[in-house]
Amino acid sequence: MTRKILIETKDLKKDFKDLQVLKGISQTISQGEVVCIIGPSGGGKSTFLRCLNMLEVPSSGEVWFEGEKLDPEHTDIDRHRQKIGMVFQQFNVFPHLTVMENITLAPILEKKMSKEEAEAKAMELLERVGLQDKVNEYPRKLSGGQKQRLAIVRAMAMDPDVMLFDEPTSALDPEMVKGVLEVIRKLADSGMTCVIVTHEMGFAREVADRILFIDEGIVVEEGTPEEIFDHPINPRTKEFLSQVL
Amino acid sequence: MGPSIIDVFVQYWPIFLKGTLGTLHFAFIAVSLGSVLGTLVAFVRLSKNRFFSTLAGVYADVLRGTPLLVQMYIAYFFIPIVIPALNRVDKEIFVLISLILNSSAYVSEIIRGGINSVDIGQSEAARSLGLSASHTMTKVILPQAIKNILPALANEYIAMIKETSMAGSFMLYELMYTRTILANKYLSWQPLLIIAAIYLMLTLVLTSLVKKMEERFAVSD
Repeated sequence: MTRKILIETKDLKKDFKDLQVLKGISQTISQGEVVCIIGPSGGGKSTFLRCLNMLEVPSSGEVWFEGEKLDPEHTDIDRHRQKIGMVFQQFNVFPHLTVMENITLAPILEKKMSKEEAEAKAMELLERVGLQDKVNEYPRKLSGGQKQRLAIVRAMAMDPDVMLFDEPTSALDPEMVKGVLEVIRKLADSGMTCVIVTHEMGFAREVADRILFIDEGIVVEEGTPEEIFDHPINPRTKEFLSQVL
Repeated sequence: MGPSIIDVFVQYWPIFLKGTLGTLHFAFIAVSLGSVLGTLVAFVRLSKNRFFSTLAGVYADVLRGTPLLVQMYIAYFFIPIVIPALNRVDKEIFVLISLILNSSAYVSEIIRGGINSVDIGQSEAARSLGLSASHTMTKVILPQAIKNILPALANEYIAMIKETSMAGSFMLYELMYTRTILANKYLSWQPLLIIAAIYLMLTLVLTSLVKKMEERFAVSD
């Protein structure tokens, strides 16, 4: 079965001053696929993810999304980003807005959705993650796990075709991790295309269709969870896994 | 010695009142129009266009790096020479303009600082949702920056209350100008002490108001 290609990167490179963080990554991500990216800190995982919606502008190479080349200088980038949800390590919920306003801001402003429609949809999403009774709170009243669930719902409210997760549980207290992973798992199970940078190896193994091991700016090894976790071939992959598992 | 401070104040209080109101008035005009201009300068400075951004930086540096008094002299004496058509205009206006420009430079730094104080993750989150650059600024960044900006603007107003004293040298009817008026009545030291006391009262009262405002904002964090 060939599935529609959603995202394609072509020889993606990124330099920060003298440091080459990405050294040429060419990948395709298909519709419905759940890709987990693992690897040591500073290896380029997050930078690669952030290039997919042009939060990080590549030094060279291309990113194609749904058949169109992304150009960060073109106003079309906003239209594309509406289809590419992103969840951050630090949540980045809007502290000056209520839970409801956090969710409805972008749909009302950019999709010209009516307030009623946006709020009805937000309510439905909030119920799915168990935050319906927080709807009128400000984020300062939420725990880390609740903030992250809010951030996920906020991204989902735009009806994205793909969700990018940048270490979504790394800033959470241990007891909050499970709830957030559960929400992501449900999303993945529902058929949402997901690209997840994570240090949660058990989670990656369960949820991923494909694992990318990124280190020193390249995809060192990729494969199914079984291939990567049970039968890694590359010595660097083996070494990394021996340290984290 | 001459008459006592109290005698002078009782006799001439309407002059001091008019001077105080003039000071508050000119400081208000300078800071409010300076804020409009300063906001513009701040956005140009933050823009991606290297040339205009540098230009705005130079503007702020020059106006903050030279004394206001020098700027006033230049405005008062030099501009009418360069642009003779302005000779017919009331010269006080040039002094007021120099106050406004000076204030705009400080305000531009306040606004730039306020915007930069908002975590970069906020704008990244907004842009990742597909919010346009302008919506990101007006709906996400500025509402958060404002609580850093407002107290700083109020402090700029307080500073400007003291700065306007220089405008008295150019016949602008503000608090310091009352000294010139009363000097004509052979009063030298009494008006100065009264003027100093009024400045001190103004700044102390306003500073305590700003503190209250800051505390209010801190609660909402």
